[in-house]
Amino acid sequence: MNNRVVNALAAASLSALLVAGFGGMAGAADPADMVKERQQTMKKLGGGMGAVAKFVKNEGGTQEDAAKGAEAVLAVAKMDAKAVFPTGTAVGVGDSAAKPELWQNWSAAEEKWKAMQPAAMKLAEAIKGGDRAQIGQALGATSKTCGGCHEDFRVKKQ
Amino acid sequence: MRRRALPLTALVLPLALPFVLVTGGGARAADADAVARGGYIFQAAGCLGCHTNEKAGGAPLTGGRALATPFGTFFTPNITPDPVHGIGRWSDADFLRAFREGVRPDGAALFPAFPYASYTRMTDRDLLDLKAYLFAQKPQPVANRPHDLSPPFSWRFLVPGWQLLYMTAGPVADDPSKPAAWNRGRYLVDALGHCGECHTPRSLLGGLDQSRYLAGTPDGPDGDKVPNITPHPAKGLGKWSDSDLAMLLELGLKPDGDVAGGGMGEVVRNTTSKLTAEDRAAIVTYLRGVPPKE
Ligand code: HEC
Ligand code: HEC
Ligand code: HEC
Repeated sequence: MNNRVVNALAAASLSALLVAGFGGMAGAADPADMVKERQQTMKKLGGGMGAVAKFVKNEGGTQEDAAKGAEAVLAVAKMDAKAVFPTGTAVGVGDSAAKPELWQNWSAAEEKWKAMQPAAMKLAEAIKGGDRAQIGQALGATSKTCGGCHEDFRVKKQ
Repeated sequence: MRRRALPLTALVLPLALPFVLVTGGGARAADADAVARGGYIFQAAGCLGCHTNEKAGGAPLTGGRALATPFGTFFTPNITPDPVHGIGRWSDADFLRAFREGVRPDGAALFPAFPYASYTRMTDRDLLDLKAYLFAQKPQPVANRPHDLSPPFSWRFLVPGWQLLYMTAGPVADDPSKPAAWNRGRYLVDALGHCGECHTPRSLLGGLDQSRYLAGTPDGPDGDKVPNITPHPAKGLGKWSDSDLAMLLELGLKPDGDVAGGGMGEVVRNTTSKLTAEDRAAIVTYLRGVPPKE
């Protein structure tokens, strides 16, 4: 068994104990699954941003695909940060790449998460307008909100 | 008002020019140019991030940022023009020597955590413009924090040996067989952007392993895994289009929609997003031509 698996198991059993102790408060979700789920959520953001980028770069993406992409980003941005980053899902759990600092500086992290929403709204609007330069600018502003959080709270793996 | 300003200065300027030259104001105008050019160099060379303790709310360029390395933790110095705590007393020659040779005005060697092994390739003019820019910033009396290094890595007197092994001092002449954009790109990547300081793996003594130039490393700064940016089709960026690369440099956005974080987030924020589109294109041209590595 590799280290990561052992860690994940240890973390999982530890949180099972906690959950049992608190009468099943946190529900039955397995932390490693929660990490997977977060990564899927992030992939949706990536997919959305990628679709817009394709249009901006003029590499075959249509305006409609771009609009759908921005919608997807906006939908995720509206999620509650607590649901995306449940406690106990930092590095060491599953293949999580979330730094423990994300929870230690929760208000900063939550703020970064919330900052995506207005940016994504502007992005959706720009796409409706159809001007590539403006869409590019809005895309840049949105990716800044992603990058700001990744810079502080995500470890680079793989 | 704004509409009138232009013709007015156009009229006054030729009249004022001789006067300015006589009174020495011309030197000041030239200084202002140098400061502006130096500001661009400052961004292209990514000085801000390392010399600012952003997390602790430190003022720009007052240093104190911790750089964790396998050799211990460096705390960057104050590089504002404060005469006591900063570099306010440094002459042009002092400044050139620090960047060109990695030597402080007192003769001690500088640790290569300050990436002068890359900056040594900068031209004199760029270095002096950079100095002009730094000296136009506000002096800040913030004391330096000593590094926290373990011997033998804390011994400055060993650094000249390192320099002999891993550093070739001085600018590299343009390759006339290559287009201007390629040469500019190489200068931006190797001299200013010091991309290899992160993207090229290091030997045990911390020198760059140039046989693996830009091939990535699992042991980057702050524990980052740093990707291969050579044009290798499987392990590098062979599948990225030119505009994919340009977009990464401008916005940090990758082709799959992911956004670069870690040390690269800072590089994009402070450096590559601030460059002219032309300079970003030059970087792309150059990166396309480096030898592909697994
Ligand atoms: C509040 C912080 C935060 C914000 C805002 C944020 N991310 Fe992330 N992102 C993370 C963290 C933390 C991870 C690592 C997750 C893990 O491995 O558990 C991550 C991982 C990712 C991944 C990799 C997922 C995988 O497969 O492992 C992608 C893609 C991604 N983010 C895209 C985006 C995009 C695009 C945006 C902006 C539209 C964005 N993120 C905004 C924190 C954030
Ligand atoms: C990767 C981080 C990093 C970057 C980028 C960096 N520096 Fe530094 N710098 C350092 C460290 C660490 C030291 C301390 C070296 C030592 O103590 O020997 C230093 C030292 C210096 C010194 C010597 C100060 C003194 O009092 O001895 C000067 C001047 C300086 N840097 C200026 C700059 C400028 C200008 C830039 C941009 C062109 C820059 N640095 C970019 C990390 C960095
Ligand atoms: C401080 C260290 C550092 C410096 C300096 C640096 N990089 Fe990076 N770079 C990274 C890291 C870490 C990543 C991975 C970021 C991520 O995926 O979140 C990266 C990613 C990249 C990527 C995306 C590659 C991929 O496969 O995702 C490119 C392209 C790139 N860098 C080019 C450059 C260029 C050009 C320079 C010089 C102007 C440079 N980098 C300087 C650390 C650095």
